Amino acid sequence: MQKLVVEICVGTSCHLLGSQDLIQVVENLPAEIKCRIELQAATCLGACGKGPNIRVNGLVLSNMTPEQLQQIISDNV
Amino acid sequence: MSQVTEVVKIRRKVFAELARMTFVGTLEKDVAAILNTVVTEEGPRYRCCVHKERAVLHNRINLALSQPMTNNIFEAASAAIQGNQSNMPVMNVLPEACDQCPIDKFLVTDACRNCIAHNCMASCPKKAINVVANRAYIDKNKCVECGLCKKSCSYGAIIEISRPCERACDLGAIQAGADRRASIDYEKCVQCGACKTACPFGAVSDKSFIVQLIQSLKSEKRVYAILAPAFIGQFGFKVKPGQVVAALKQIGFYDIYEASFGADLVTMTETEELTEILAHDPKSFLTTSCCPAFVGMVKKHMPEIAGHVSTTVSPMVATGTMIRDKDPEAVTVFIGPCVAKKVEAEEAHGIIDYVVTFEELASMMVGAGINLAEVEPSEYHSIASRDGNGFACAGGVARSVIDTAAIVAPEVMLDVQRAEGLGECKKTLQQIRAGQISANFFEGMACSGGCVGGPCTLADQRVTGKLVANFAAEALVEESVKNQPAVDLLAKGGHWHRA
Repeated sequence: MQKLVVEICVGTSCHLLGSQDLIQVVENLPAEIKCRIELQAATCLGACGKGPNIRVNGLVLSNMTPEQLQQIISDNV
Repeated sequence: MSQVTEVVKIRRKVFAELARMTFVGTLEKDVAAILNTVVTEEGPRYRCCVHKERAVLHNRINLALSQPMTNNIFEAASAAIQGNQSNMPVMNVLPEACDQCPIDKFLVTDACRNCIAHNCMASCPKKAINVVANRAYIDKNKCVECGLCKKSCSYGAIIEISRPCERACDLGAIQAGADRRASIDYEKCVQCGACKTACPFGAVSDKSFIVQLIQSLKSEKRVYAILAPAFIGQFGFKVKPGQVVAALKQIGFYDIYEASFGADLVTMTETEELTEILAHDPKSFLTTSCCPAFVGMVKKHMPEIAGHVSTTVSPMVATGTMIRDKDPEAVTVFIGPCVAKKVEAEEAHGIIDYVVTFEELASMMVGAGINLAEVEPSEYHSIASRDGNGFACAGGVARSVIDTAAIVAPEVMLDVQRAEGLGECKKTLQQIRAGQISANFFEGMACSGGCVGGPCTLADQRVTGKLVANFAAEALVEESVKNQPAVDLLAKGGHWHRA
């Protein structure tokens, strides 16, 4: 089964703008969904200042909120 | 810090922009651009209109420059660039940001069933409750906010609402003023920062010295960083201590010291003080003195026991003193999770020049274009003991003194109590004083969890607490008294007590 790769930027700018809250979202997923996600930490996705940034399916998404990430995960998994 | 809310993001963006402009030298010219970049016409909009957002930002920029909040921001930027700081308290209410929350303390909710017993009306000593539109109604002109109606309602339909800032303050130091804006009573306030974390409008904040500090970093001066032991894990779980140290060098710091080394000095000095006091009067007790908000609370709210607070300086001041002894021209900068340290630094004249928080430092890094996660780490090993590094977590100071006392004064029987949160500290000290709890040594921490739970941290204390413990466990020695360089320094004599 193909896992959904979720890259969350943990660079300083994104860290300040809340990337750890996004990591928490993935960490707190129910086990049956979490096992279908591969969480990766990125150090920069090239959109500093518009963070927190993530990359899903090759697409960089800026100004990410925990609610939006939750939605993206349920749409893709 | 629990969650990075929108108000937190705005504050950090302002810091990062101010830092960026100061590093490139365009702050005085460009400061007003922040009003258009941090808040844009397109939104997002949190308040009534873009003009209100900008009025709040005005306050916020001035405060971040340590200038009076109603100043013209160009004048404020010039003053900050020249290194000036306004003589204002550390914690301030941003007048434009405060939403003047309603203060009707007791509210009848939809859960009211208009029952037959009407316990609320029966319990009210002021006959302030009537039934209006099939529901209990509290006449605000008569209500004295005693709360009996809330207690008496069988449905729990009457709730008590208080302002988040008021509820967060254990010392009753912030209240609604005449215009319903929050107002800080500085006679009671110890500037712990609890209201800053609590306000969902971001209306309480501390003044910042980042611009003044960056000017020093850009100059020829030798600027020394004193890193609080709570720094482990603050800048992202992937960022190693060696990367933080390397980044500090990149940003212009001349050298980096650990406050945990100062903590070793403090442990030994405080242990000696404690054993002397107990030898003199076995029934006496001593409290720690490293948390400035705790010390402030005792001074302002329990002056009768102020004599029991250790006279030993804090690890910050001990480390600053050590640096100054070596380099009298040094500019000393404490970097920590704490607002109250800004006050302590002002009171310890001439030992600490600036205090910046982890939040401010990370914003400075962003402003300088430094990404800590990508910095090449430098070699870094703590020169402090395990116990010195443990000062970052609640219980760490007590443990350190217990461990050192067990070696240097094994005959002394320590009876240790501790508390976290200013309200808890106050209550426990009252009980110790009244003889309800026995203790001869007390550790007081203003923040829940200790420094890792401070108001200016960047990561969850459940994570950083563990990281600090892991880092401390790697120290070369366990007890402070086994840290030979610290022992040697104390043997030279010197001044490790508050004046």
